Amino acid sequence: MAKYLIKRIGRSLLTLALIICIVFILMRQMPIEGYFQNFDKLTDAQIQAGLKEQGLLDPMPVQLVNFFRNMFHGDFGVSHSYRVNVPVTSILKDKLPVSIKLGSLSILVAMCLGIPLGTLMARYKGKFFDKFGTLFIVFIQAVPAAVYFLFIQMYGTTLLNIPLLFNPNNWRSWVLPVISMSLGNIAYYGMWLRRYMVDESNKDYVNLAKAKGASGNTVMFRHIFRNAFVPMVQYLPSSFLNTVIGSIYVESLYSIPGMGGLLVTVIKDNDNNMVQAIVLLYATVGVIGLLLGDIMMTVLDPRISLGKKEGGR
Amino acid sequence: MVNMNQEAILSVRDLNIKFTLRGQVLHTIRNVSLDVYKGESIAIVGESGSGKSVLTKSFMGLLDNNGFISSGEILYDGKDLAKYKTEREWQKIRGGEIAMIMQDPMTSLNPLKTIGEQIAEAVRLHQPDVKGKDAVRDKVYSYLKDVGIRKPERRYKQYPHEFSGGMRQRVVIAIALACNPRILICDEPTTALDVTIQAQIMRLLKDLKAKYDLTILFITHDLGVVANIADRVAVMYAGDFVEIGTAEDVFYDPRHPYTWALLSSLPQLGQKGEELFTIKGTPPSLYKVIEGDAFAPRNPRALKIDFLMAPPYFEISETHKAKTWLLDPRAPKLEPPEGIRNLKNLEVLG
Repeated sequence: MAKYLIKRIGRSLLTLALIICIVFILMRQMPIEGYFQNFDKLTDAQIQAGLKEQGLLDPMPVQLVNFFRNMFHGDFGVSHSYRVNVPVTSILKDKLPVSIKLGSLSILVAMCLGIPLGTLMARYKGKFFDKFGTLFIVFIQAVPAAVYFLFIQMYGTTLLNIPLLFNPNNWRSWVLPVISMSLGNIAYYGMWLRRYMVDESNKDYVNLAKAKGASGNTVMFRHIFRNAFVPMVQYLPSSFLNTVIGSIYVESLYSIPGMGGLLVTVIKDNDNNMVQAIVLLYATVGVIGLLLGDIMMTVLDPRISLGKKEGGR
Repeated sequence: MVNMNQEAILSVRDLNIKFTLRGQVLHTIRNVSLDVYKGESIAIVGESGSGKSVLTKSFMGLLDNNGFISSGEILYDGKDLAKYKTEREWQKIRGGEIAMIMQDPMTSLNPLKTIGEQIAEAVRLHQPDVKGKDAVRDKVYSYLKDVGIRKPERRYKQYPHEFSGGMRQRVVIAIALACNPRILICDEPTTALDVTIQAQIMRLLKDLKAKYDLTILFITHDLGVVANIADRVAVMYAGDFVEIGTAEDVFYDPRHPYTWALLSSLPQLGQKGEELFTIKGTPPSLYKVIEGDAFAPRNPRALKIDFLMAPPYFEISETHKAKTWLLDPRAPKLEPPEGIRNLKNLEVLG
């Protein structure tokens, strides 16, 4: 297991390095406006001097090595247009915690509601609760999120008697964004867990458990739920990532100073250093998410053995 | 071997089971009656779809959701199981009174629990006098030993995928034993196994039956498998028993044309150079009302009356009865096919 982990982490690091290189090379093909704040007013000589100063005239491999060296010192350069001459790291340091907090809270809420939703739907398959849950899931999946986000904002703020805009120090202003962001995941968890549980409940071992004389609830939770949860576990880390990145609309609705939409903005503005740093950040979270998902699967499912060679997957 | 004065532990009376399927009604079990005597092993034999499994599943309330008992009684211990509706009622029967071994050991164990846990679950459910973790574990060890699994201490902690098919079936048997049942239903317990393992499992069941004082109900389509272990054989066709008798009755003196056909299709009886015997045609559609003898359309030597009127049971002896017009005194004398006339002299069933 330890051997597998080391191998796996090594491979993850390699993936990250490749992502950095590819993005780096692509960024160098972009127009150079992004490296200056008042590009139009500069003369050719000034531009050349500026490029030289930033090391952009060096051959590509040298630039890449320099980038890696700076990266290990925690230096991603400065932002050129988003917030002029402010180091990238200090911009992200302010924004990242807000998004992570928001994302974690919404995932927590989604798990606390989505998992019981799926379980109860499977338990009462075909009955009222199942139909009700299906209605909810179809609604969430079919109606554009923008529509119910707006409704939640409009009526929610009145109901809670809070201003429209986000205030991080008032716990009540966290409620609506968290609920909005969790709705999609509640439906997602509910849908998949129900599906996996229904799949499991048709298997022979469930019949045997019933034939043993175990009660309906025991069979449901000790056998079906436990087994259906294994494939779910794989989704959890990546759905966390998607929630953090995908909070763009909710964050702009409530003017939350988070990461949502930041990547799009800086790509549009050619703020190349910012793009590079954010891509690296998301890639890291993504790779870690996958790794965690796999490790959690191994812990839960004895059939998956990572240590042995023959346990190829 | 079978004493007719024995008390019936389970008594099925005029049982009818129907399924609703895509708006149609499937009449799967047609007016079946059967007494299962205490301490015997009885085999229910028939081809796929004849209703063997459905019948036994109804004893445990494990019919699929679209199946239901439309009339009749299943008497067990003074209670009519056919009237049971709720899960809570059935839980008193399942496991503790009637336990079941299923066909495919590869899928009938929970892949994510150690086999020890799965047996222990049954012990905790049905043997409340075994208290404490250690006592339960020791009990599980003893069951593992009983079903012939060596090194139970090590095996306890292993998962089903670490066992072979035959070993898994032993685990399934251990689970059934741990429920402490009076009746054990074995639903084609060896169908999914290698021929070499089949004999081992059957021998094991025979031994356990004696040790645990069980009544065993075998379901199988392989007459050869049960010849050794069954006291009585009931032949099922299209949801009804066409012939019931002791193993000797059915193997050495079969009366129903369907039993003849079944016995003739034993591959052991095949002669070198000749094709194996097969029963032509398919079982009747259970969507329609069956008129006359259900087997008549597939019986090349069917009588005219077979198509018109269903035969009643004719008693051949105290232990042996069959539903065929051939036993009517007015019927022409038909001899069973040549191949099966002297089964007694053949060692094929051994």
